[in-house]
Amino acid sequence: MSTAERPPGARALILNGIFAENPVFRLALSLCPAVAVTTTIANGLLLGVAVLAVQVLSSVTVALVRGAIHPRVRIPVYTIIIAVWVSAIDMALAAFMPALYAQVGLYVKLIVAFAIIISRLEAFASRQPLVPAFWDGVGMGLGFLLALVVIGALRELLGAGALMGLKLFPVKPLLFFALPAGGFFSIALLMAFFNHLEHRRGGKPSSGGGAHG
Amino acid sequence: MSELVQIEGAPRPKSDPREVMRIAINLVAVCALSGVVLGGAFLGTERVARAARLDGERRAISGMLALPPGARVLEVSQYLVPARGEVVYVAGEYGNESAAPRRIVFSLAGELRPEAPAAPEKELTPLGRTFVASVDGAPAGFVVEGESRGYKKRIRFFVALDSAFVVRGVRVIEHEEDPGLGAEIATPWFQAQYVGRSAEQTTALDVTKDPMPEDWRAALDALAGEGADAWRTKHAPLLEREHARPVYAVTGATISSRALTRGVRTAVDHFRRRWGLVAPHLGEPS
Repeated sequence: MSTAERPPGARALILNGIFAENPVFRLALSLCPAVAVTTTIANGLLLGVAVLAVQVLSSVTVALVRGAIHPRVRIPVYTIIIAVWVSAIDMALAAFMPALYAQVGLYVKLIVAFAIIISRLEAFASRQPLVPAFWDGVGMGLGFLLALVVIGALRELLGAGALMGLKLFPVKPLLFFALPAGGFFSIALLMAFFNHLEHRRGGKPSSGGGAHG
Repeated sequence: MSELVQIEGAPRPKSDPREVMRIAINLVAVCALSGVVLGGAFLGTERVARAARLDGERRAISGMLALPPGARVLEVSQYLVPARGEVVYVAGEYGNESAAPRRIVFSLAGELRPEAPAAPEKELTPLGRTFVASVDGAPAGFVVEGESRGYKKRIRFFVALDSAFVVRGVRVIEHEEDPGLGAEIATPWFQAQYVGRSAEQTTALDVTKDPMPEDWRAALDALAGEGADAWRTKHAPLLEREHARPVYAVTGATISSRALTRGVRTAVDHFRRRWGLVAPHLGEPS
């Protein structure tokens, strides 16, 4: 993406984040946390909201100060910006949602190292004005959030026979899906499904699987 | 070759002092601004976070001691004053900051110093708290706060004891062990391993890497649904067998398992030795 191109509109950027460049299913970024926390919908939702907030705040901050950042130290500066927002959100979650924080608090701190956030800062927010950077952050954050919720729903339904903690079946249909290996299978199945959707819309299939955090 | 290989067409990096200054100023400005944002976030959340922490502690205490709603909880904070060689206990009703706390001062040798002037706040080194519960004037057990150095950071935990110092529960309150590994020490089944051990067993407690027997694991999983007293009666033979054995470490997290066990051992040992000294001066049933 070059600065000469006219930035796309809000709608296009949000849809891009959810479908064409979905961080988990299409870019295959940040799979590690996507497997680790998605045993239930509630966990996926909370981490997704935290990532959405961090992505939007970091993208906006970088877009605002991009002129002042020295290009040689831009990566350390991005990392500090992400770390600041993660810490702020960590404090807010610990204060206002202590019960949920007890479940996923350990993962919230790891958002600092999520590949998706820094890669959007480098690839998009550092080259675009404030408004498109904001919408790209919203799109990517929503894409990640929805991916976590969908994976969480599949795994909670198959692994625990429940949705949002509500028992639907008296048995646990496939306990395997609640285990880490089941997380990888869930992502693979959903990635295939998203590739299928994109294929029908005329796009390219995901190159899939990088060894990114 | 003494020189680094240059990529064709790439400019040779120069170390221009003014450039280095600009980078330094850039980084200093970023860090200063970050400090302001973090400070603001801390100020904005601190009060709510404290209330949430207090609420979590209160629920852990009532849960482990199975306290009815009307129970009284006395909070006894222990401090060391190294400069004066004093140990200070400050006792007050838990969660009620308006009531004036009672201070009891001992020398390091254990002699009461009733006339000792209050040491300034900054000389007090906190040594942890003890919660003394009573229901209608009758003692209902203790919760001892303890700390231990975990794999990454400190592990803060509560140990609940009945009047005979038998463990009623262990609850990890704060930790940063790795998810899926060390963090397993905060699971109900791991913490259930301490329940029902006598003070003698607890103060000599060790950790083993042996695999946990399946019947013991099944019993530990059942504790949460059965209540401590019923559970101890129901699984009495199994508890007798297992309480003669050490705590089974979490697979792949021996350091975290040892840290919590060492912490529980020390906390119970210290509490048992000093409680007799302090109790008569609290004006509470002991």
